Amino acid sequence: MGNFTSIVYKEIKELMRDPKILFGVVLLPLLLYPLMGQGLQISQQSVETAIKGAQFSVYSDDSGQIASILVQYITQNNNVTNIQSPGLGDALVKFKDSSSVAMVYVPNGYSQNITDGLKGRVKIYANLKNLNIAEASGAEVAGSLVSVYNYYYSLAIIKELMVVTGNLGSPVAIHDPLSISYASIIKGNVIEVAPSQITSLIVSQSIMLPIMVMMMVIFAIQMAATSIALEKEQKTLETLMTLPVGRLTILSGKLAGSVVIAVAGSISYMIGFSYYTSSAFSFAPQLTSVDLTGVGIGIQPIGYALLGIVMFVTLVSALALAISLAVFTDSVRSAQSLTGVLIVPLIIPAMILMFSDIEMLPPTIQWIMLAIPYTHTMLATKAAFLGNYWIIIRSIAYISAFTVLVLWIAAKIFSTERILTARFTSFSFRKKKAQAN
Amino acid sequence: MRDLRKSFGNFQALKGVTFRVEEREIFGLIGPNGAGKTTTLRVLGTLISPTSGVVEVFGRDVVKEAESVREILSYLPEEAGAYQYLSGEEYLRFMAGFYAHERSAVEEMVQAGKDISGLGDRLNDRVNEYSRGMKRRLLIARALMIKPKLAILDEPTSGLDVIQAYHVRGMIRDYAEKIGVTILVSSHNMLEVEYLCHRVALMNEGNIVSEGTPEELKLRYNAVNLEQAFMEATQLG
Repeated sequence: MGNFTSIVYKEIKELMRDPKILFGVVLLPLLLYPLMGQGLQISQQSVETAIKGAQFSVYSDDSGQIASILVQYITQNNNVTNIQSPGLGDALVKFKDSSSVAMVYVPNGYSQNITDGLKGRVKIYANLKNLNIAEASGAEVAGSLVSVYNYYYSLAIIKELMVVTGNLGSPVAIHDPLSISYASIIKGNVIEVAPSQITSLIVSQSIMLPIMVMMMVIFAIQMAATSIALEKEQKTLETLMTLPVGRLTILSGKLAGSVVIAVAGSISYMIGFSYYTSSAFSFAPQLTSVDLTGVGIGIQPIGYALLGIVMFVTLVSALALAISLAVFTDSVRSAQSLTGVLIVPLIIPAMILMFSDIEMLPPTIQWIMLAIPYTHTMLATKAAFLGNYWIIIRSIAYISAFTVLVLWIAAKIFSTERILTARFTSFSFRKKKAQAN
Repeated sequence: MRDLRKSFGNFQALKGVTFRVEEREIFGLIGPNGAGKTTTLRVLGTLISPTSGVVEVFGRDVVKEAESVREILSYLPEEAGAYQYLSGEEYLRFMAGFYAHERSAVEEMVQAGKDISGLGDRLNDRVNEYSRGMKRRLLIARALMIKPKLAILDEPTSGLDVIQAYHVRGMIRDYAEKIGVTILVSSHNMLEVEYLCHRVALMNEGNIVSEGTPEELKLRYNAVNLEQAFMEATQLG
């Protein structure tokens, strides 16, 4: 086994046998996300069940025929209590003490208004005893019930008027005389899909990639920082530096070992996260089943290849940066808190680009964002969807230049005595005088 | 080593250290904390560069020929640890891999390490299950199993109890005699050095204040042991 392979093998063994890393990076995402998904699914299901079995009340102050048709419609469709009361105040007291989540109130004058060609007013009261979603949704269900009635009742009125006026046509067309349909032009192709459907599809897919990139880089940073800090904490680095092996071999061996664990962590995260999204949002209707690959949206093989290069240079730069910082610490804890600072420039672009485009930001913010190398990783993932390969190549060039710079710094630190003597204390570098003897 | 000087910023750790260790000799550097022992050993171990002076290991310059020096020396830092999630044997095999490239040579080296450590079946356990003494025995075995031309042992019995320190000293002496390795030991335990070393240099405040065999030093300062000789030599007594 060569020196490099030997170091990589040792790194992987050490990191994988560390229970904190094995559990925190590899096992936790596999357990936590499915559990979170299940939890969310259970709570959503219980809300749905509560809504389905919700009880309603109806109280009418109007004794007219038209009002009683509405009351009759509501009572025959659901588990509804028809409150008999001398006035609204008393009805509300009865409603408050009942198990109903919503009460449809038909005020006096409802029938008269409709007879006079005016709007008949209806009010819905929600009984928020526990201030939960199921109660609020119950009121909305009662509202929908009245809306359905409203639609068919309006059609019936239109039909009656058509008979009187001798008008021809469909009551539905008169109710909604205009019908709007959408189409989108993408890269010169007209496709019969609403723009909102396309954007929601791209957003739902492109959100996953920045999250994955962000998580993978965070894992890698933690791995590399932990690995180097462990060597310093256990005082094994000093021995390693006196072995007949090049300093760059030690550095690259450590980087490679961390990359392997980071990739394992990312895969485990993705499995856990996709299980989470599939179980947590299983109740939600599918946004669209539109296949956009035919019009050039979606990642093509060349896009995947370029994205792979982007991920690789991103990982190497993050690892080299983490190692360069971690050598100035003397314990795992201080290395992790110091490298925690690196997570900020990762999270900010990921969060911003998840919900907006870089072009939509003010110019100053755009420049600041573009100066952060990891912004380019996020931009590349979005560009891969749209087949804008020049943006990806630009990203690779920028991140690579940054990576070369950081690797050069890391190699410099590794090839000098600074790796043993320098220490990061109270935001200032000082020589580790105490360790001189 | 001639006129070795080393500064950290404004702090002068070594102020012109000169000494020579003969082949197959066990040479001791003794002195209190802060005397400059570890800095001297780190320069020899190619870990830090001298500010000035000439340091050679078997004719190879530690700055210009650092990689070549690393092939013939073995360095054991003070309070060094081993990879806690590897077993003792895995650790020895990992280290042997840097010095031997043939499988049989690696196995031979690992076997030597096992014999020197005397840890027996405990070598199959992970290092994080070892006592301090066991870890030190493993590390000394690692340092000696490669049959270096020069072994640098910084405070080899630091932090060990009397019994563990006794065993470790025995290991070093036995193995040095058996394979004829040159050993440079640093310690602030004067009695340990007197037991182990053929010749000794007394260090204080970045300087060598005296050098010779333990007997010569005791005679020179009319002392009953090295501790007293050191106090006389540094005029602290």
